[in-house]
Amino acid sequence: MSHIQFRDLSVSYRRPKSDERFLAIDRISLDIERGSFVAVVGSSGCGKSTLLLAAAGLVSLASGRVVIDAAPVTGPGGHAAMVFQDASLLPWRSVLGNVRFGLEMRRWKRDDLTERALRHIRMVGLGDFADYHPHQLSGGMRQRVNIARALAVDPEVLLMDEPFGALDAQTREVMGNELLRIWERDRKTALFVTHDIEEAVFLADKVVVMGRDPGRIKDVVQVDLPRPRSPDMLDSETFVTIRRRLRESLAEDMASLRLVTEGV
Amino acid sequence: MIAFYRRFEAVLVGTASLIAIAVAWQLAVDNGFIDPFFISTPLAVAREAMTQAADGTLFVNISATLHAFSLALALAAAVGIGLGVLAGWFRDVEAALDPFIWFKYSAPTIAFYPIFIAYLGYGLPTVVTVGFLFALTPIYANTLAGIRNVDRDLARTARAFGARPLDVFVRVALPGSVPLLVAGFRLGVGRALTGVVVAELFGSTAGLGYSITQHAQLMQTAPMMVSIVAIVLIGVALTQALGFVERKTDAWRVDAE
Repeated sequence: MSHIQFRDLSVSYRRPKSDERFLAIDRISLDIERGSFVAVVGSSGCGKSTLLLAAAGLVSLASGRVVIDAAPVTGPGGHAAMVFQDASLLPWRSVLGNVRFGLEMRRWKRDDLTERALRHIRMVGLGDFADYHPHQLSGGMRQRVNIARALAVDPEVLLMDEPFGALDAQTREVMGNELLRIWERDRKTALFVTHDIEEAVFLADKVVVMGRDPGRIKDVVQVDLPRPRSPDMLDSETFVTIRRRLRESLAEDMASLRLVTEGV
Repeated sequence: MIAFYRRFEAVLVGTASLIAIAVAWQLAVDNGFIDPFFISTPLAVAREAMTQAADGTLFVNISATLHAFSLALALAAAVGIGLGVLAGWFRDVEAALDPFIWFKYSAPTIAFYPIFIAYLGYGLPTVVTVGFLFALTPIYANTLAGIRNVDRDLARTARAFGARPLDVFVRVALPGSVPLLVAGFRLGVGRALTGVVVAELFGSTAGLGYSITQHAQLMQTAPMMVSIVAIVLIGVALTQALGFVERKTDAWRVDAE
């Protein structure tokens, strides 16, 4: 059985200052295999972040269900760890304190929190910065802390919502490589939301394309590139073919979006 | 030498400008521009301060004022922070307290002094009450804002890791409110001192404020000026000390993006 199952999942939000609701995602079904890396791409407003929040148990569902490890998700719990685009670090805590924070919230009992946190800080390459505070770190370093915090709680599923969205292009590439290096160690099931097609193809086994109004799945593309991935694959025929297909898939959405804007 | 100057530039220039004022004051009186009867002179004030220091009057006054001030501030901090935290976390508490806060903001507290004196008499209870009421509002309002403005991303992240509401409150909202809380406390310090001195002016039989009224009524300008200068120095010292503490506590917020 698949590790994560989305079944007829709909999520609706209330429009600001009214009782009217709109569908952010509309009856989505999707299966994610254990140990696979799945990327979700789509234009803004297509509900890709909502899909992630639903997997994390952070939104209430209008219909359908999310099942992880054969158990329905009913709220935020021990199954998944979330990495948001904003590093969301506690500014008054050091790097060590921030990575410990996740463990503390999980009421981790299994081993020494500090030792475990330090191990994960070293894993993301910040061994020398454990005592630094977030304001002393670069954006890329903060996002590393964010990832270390998520991995330290040893989640079944790693959920990442545009984790590199706020970083510059070079840092972004480095972080992508780093993420894969870390992920290869224990291959946790990963769901990665991005708006960057190349990033999606480079990282994932499977890329899900979402469309908007209402949010739905338009296409699912298998990425048959060997692992470990390396930057020279970016020019391979497989990569280029997949990238083109994804771009075309997304372009339809962009075209309809343009019409809407011009209509206004 | 230049490095020393750079480091203490603000303090040195500030001190120099104070000395310049004192010299101008002395010269203005010496040359007959101002009648010393109303304002005394820096030298006379300094001599009077020495006398009062020698016979202990100055310290008796200062300690009476500081005693009332500490009680007023401690009460205001306890009540203001306590209520502010509750109102920041529970909207109904804020709604319940709102009318009183609006009342406190719009009505000059000191107008009610006859009532305080009628119930509490001349002396410490009245002085502490007025100081407390002066300091309460800024401490309460800042604490409330600090709790209310808890970073939503941080709260969401904590919840994603399984934090319960109490965890979010204790681990995210409370520590996150510290910079605003300290800022509120600093405002409270100035307000408590003002409240205490104002209450002493006509609601007490001790302290620097009382000494001002007493000497003013007897036209003893120099002793009156000694008390005024003492109040100013206490105020400056307290605000500076707190500004220092404040810079320590919100360093992370200042250079955060």
